[in-house]
Amino acid sequence: MKDAVRIQLEDFSQDEEIAALRASSKRMGGIATFIGCARDFSEGREVTQISFDAYGSMAVGEMNKLRDEATKKFALLGVRIVHRVGVVGAGEQIVFVAAGAEHRAPALQACQWLIDELKQRVPIWKKEITPQGEAWLTPHP
Amino acid sequence: MIRVLFFGPVAERVGKSEVQVVFKAGMRLLDVREQLQVKYPAAFEIVCFTAVNGEHVLDMSLPLTEHSDVVFMSKFSGG
Repeated sequence: MKDAVRIQLEDFSQDEEIAALRASSKRMGGIATFIGCARDFSEGREVTQISFDAYGSMAVGEMNKLRDEATKKFALLGVRIVHRVGVVGAGEQIVFVAAGAEHRAPALQACQWLIDELKQRVPIWKKEITPQGEAWLTPHP
Repeated sequence: MIRVLFFGPVAERVGKSEVQVVFKAGMRLLDVREQLQVKYPAAFEIVCFTAVNGEHVLDMSLPLTEHSDVVFMSKFSGG
């Protein structure tokens, strides 16, 4: 079974992630998910690929802290967080977040909180690869 | 030795992903930063966060120990 919180080079299956989350508890009344994808256009430029670099051990450590904090803060029954590293093509999936709770409100709130906090706290950097060259991305809100 | 790691845009500006700094008794995190900042000023223009042994550190007076892992990082852009 794949770890609930992980970084990986390869693509992920949201169906597999949701199935794993559902298998962890039959008390979940709501599961909220977020998938971040690689856009093919950014700041007026065509983007063909995005390359991700990560401080792997710390990234996974911080993602596990996020899971633990979200579980307490929103009384979650399960969390899954998967982030890809390496080169991701335009249109491909980058990150998956799922939060399961007894009711929809905490699941939805936790999902947004998790992706917002991930962007602030997890040491991962993205570089956009365009026909004109490559550039590290300045974070957006 | 202290192992100093760089990732992403900081690594690009340094020109490598790792350097070694000779450990000296009483060495603080600030000492390592000052030593490397002189050598790689462009990289340290974008450094926002520091980690020691995988944990965020705000206090630059933190004492280091032999074989510590130090990372100077720019603002994150994952997700």
